[in-house]
Amino acid sequence: MIGIGGASGSGSASGRGGAGGAGGANGVSGVSGVSAVGARAQAPRRGGPDAMRILGRILTYALVTAGAVATATPFVWLILSSFKSLQEVVLFPPTFLPKKPVLSNFVEVFRMIPFGRYYLNSVITSVIPTAATVLTSSMTGMGFAKYRFAGRSLLFWIILSTMMVPFPATIVPLYVMVSRAGLVNTYAGLIVVGLSSAFGIFMMRQFIMSIPDELLDAARIDGAGEFRIFLQIVMPLTKPAVATLTLFTFTGHWGAYIWPLIVVNSDRLRTLPLAIPYFSGQYFSFQNLINAASLMAIAPVLVLFLFTQRYFVQGITLTGLKT
Amino acid sequence: MIAPYVFISPGVVFYLMVTIIPMVWGFWISFHKWSIIWPAHPWVGLDNYAALLSEDLFWTSLRNTVIYTAGVVPVEVAVALMVALLLNTRLRGRSFYRLLYYLPVVTPLSISAVIWQWIYHPHVGLFNWVMRLLRLPTHDWLQEIGTAMLAVIIVAIWSGVGYRMVIFLAALQGIPQTYYEAAMIDGAGRFALFRYITLPLLKPATLFVLVTSIIGSFQVFSIVNVLTQGGPLDSTHVVVYYIYKRAFGDLQFGLAAAMSFVLFAIILVVTAIQWKLIGREVSYE
Repeated sequence: MIGIGGASGSGSASGRGGAGGAGGANGVSGVSGVSAVGARAQAPRRGGPDAMRILGRILTYALVTAGAVATATPFVWLILSSFKSLQEVVLFPPTFLPKKPVLSNFVEVFRMIPFGRYYLNSVITSVIPTAATVLTSSMTGMGFAKYRFAGRSLLFWIILSTMMVPFPATIVPLYVMVSRAGLVNTYAGLIVVGLSSAFGIFMMRQFIMSIPDELLDAARIDGAGEFRIFLQIVMPLTKPAVATLTLFTFTGHWGAYIWPLIVVNSDRLRTLPLAIPYFSGQYFSFQNLINAASLMAIAPVLVLFLFTQRYFVQGITLTGLKT
Repeated sequence: MIAPYVFISPGVVFYLMVTIIPMVWGFWISFHKWSIIWPAHPWVGLDNYAALLSEDLFWTSLRNTVIYTAGVVPVEVAVALMVALLLNTRLRGRSFYRLLYYLPVVTPLSISAVIWQWIYHPHVGLFNWVMRLLRLPTHDWLQEIGTAMLAVIIVAIWSGVGYRMVIFLAALQGIPQTYYEAAMIDGAGRFALFRYITLPLLKPATLFVLVTSIIGSFQVFSIVNVLTQGGPLDSTHVVVYYIYKRAFGDLQFGLAAAMSFVLFAIILVVTAIQWKLIGREVSYE
C-alpha cells in the first residue's frame, strides 16, 4: 500500500492534477526560453568567485553520494551476501566481495521451503487486484468525469473525504466481514480488499476530465455506444495514467503485509512478504538462504521500477501535488 | 440514462464494501464485547473506550507511536528536501541518483525489515562492524530497550526518504524559471533567490509531505512486527501493533475496534490541521 497510502493526501486537490500539470509545464518552459537571453547576460556579474563555486559543486556531490551510499548499502550487502556460502556469510569481520561465489543458495531455497508456491501466491494476489483496480478506476473515473447524474458530487465527495481512512483502522471489521463470508484462508479473501482504490478513481477522473468532450460527442454522432467510446476513444488516451496506476498498485500489492498476515494462516497461501519474515524466523541460522530468498522476492519490483521509473515520477507529480 | 451508473458501480460498490461499511461497522463493534469465537456480542456502551484509557499498554503504545513519529518525520522530510535541492542543480547522474534513492520505496517493507535484521545482527551484522571501525560501542540493536526504537526508526527513514524526495523534486521543477530570471535581473543573489522564491514556493509541498508522513507514521506496523514484535518490554509497541495483538492475539475485537477509532480520530485531527494550513498557502500568481 506504499503508493496508495502515500499519495492519499491529495484529497483536497481540485481540478489541477491531471493533464493540466503537463500543459502548465510546457507553457512555462516556452516563456523561460525567451527571457533566458536577458538573464544570461546578467549572470557572470553575480556568479561569485570561481573557487567558491567549485567548492559548492564538490560539496553537493559529496553529500548526494554519501546519501546514495547509505541508501544503497543494504541492497549491495544483500546481493553480495546471497552469493556467499553459509561459512562465509557468518564470518566476522565480514568479507566484502564473496571469496568463493556460490549460486547454490538460490537453488537451496526451493528445496527447504515451497518458495515457488509463495512466488505464485504473490503473483496471483498482485496481478488480479491490479488488473481489477485499473479497470474499476478507469470506469468509475469515466463516470465521474464525463457524465452528469443524480448523486455524482455526493458520491465523489464521499470517496475523496474517506481517502484518508487508515487501512489498519478497518482491519477488524473487514476481518469479521471476510470471515462471515467464509473467505478466511482463501485467495478470494486475500484479493477481495484490493479490487478498487480511491486513489485510482481520483487519478483516472482527473486524467479523463482533460479529454475534450467534443471527441466523445463526435463518436456519439457516428453512432458509437457509451461503452465503445470508453474502450476505443477514452482508454487509448489514458495510457500514461493507466501505466502509472498499474505500477503503483502492483508494487503496493506485491508488498502487502498486514492484510495477508491476518486473513491467511495456512502455509500454502503465504505470499512473499509473509513468507520471507517467517522463513527468517524459522531458519535464522541460514542467513545465506534468507538473503537469496529476499533478493529473489524483491527482484521483480526493483527491475520493474528500473524500466518504468519515468511513470512513477509522473504519477507522483500528477496526484501528490497541487502546485 | 443508466450508462454513468454502469460505469461507476463496480468501483463505487467495491470501495463502499472495503472502506465505508467497515468504518461504520467498526464503530458499531467498538460498543460491544465482541469476539470472533463467541456467538453473542453484548452491547457494553463505552466500556471498551473506558478500558483503553485505564490501561497502561494503551498509553505506552500511544507514547511509542509519538516517539516513532518524532524520530522519523523531521529527519525523513529534512533529508528528502535536502537531497531534492541538491539533485535540482545541474548535477551529473541526476536520474541515477534519483533512481537509487527511490529503490527502498518499492521494496516491500516486511522484506526491507528482514534485510535490516541481518544488518543489525549483534555478532556478524554490518552495523556493529561499522560501529567497531568508528570505535563506538556495539549493541544488540533489536533486543535492547535503549536501541530497539532507534533501529526501527532508521529502517523507516531509509524506506521513506525516496518518495518524499520525488515530491519535492516535482515541486521544485514546478517553480517557473521566469521568477528566478526576473529576480536576477533585479539583482538578487543566489541566497536571496533561495530565501524569497524557492523556500516560500515549496511551502505547499512541504506541508503535504509533512502531513502525509505524520499520517503514515501513525500507521507503522510491518517493520515493528518483523523486527521487534513490540519488544523489548513493549518499547516498540505501537498503535497498530496494539490493534493487531488485541484483535488477533487476544480475540478482543471490541477493544481493538475502539483503538482503531482512536487512530482514526488522530488522523482526522492531523488532516483537519492540514486543511486549515493549506488555506493560507503561498501563491505568487
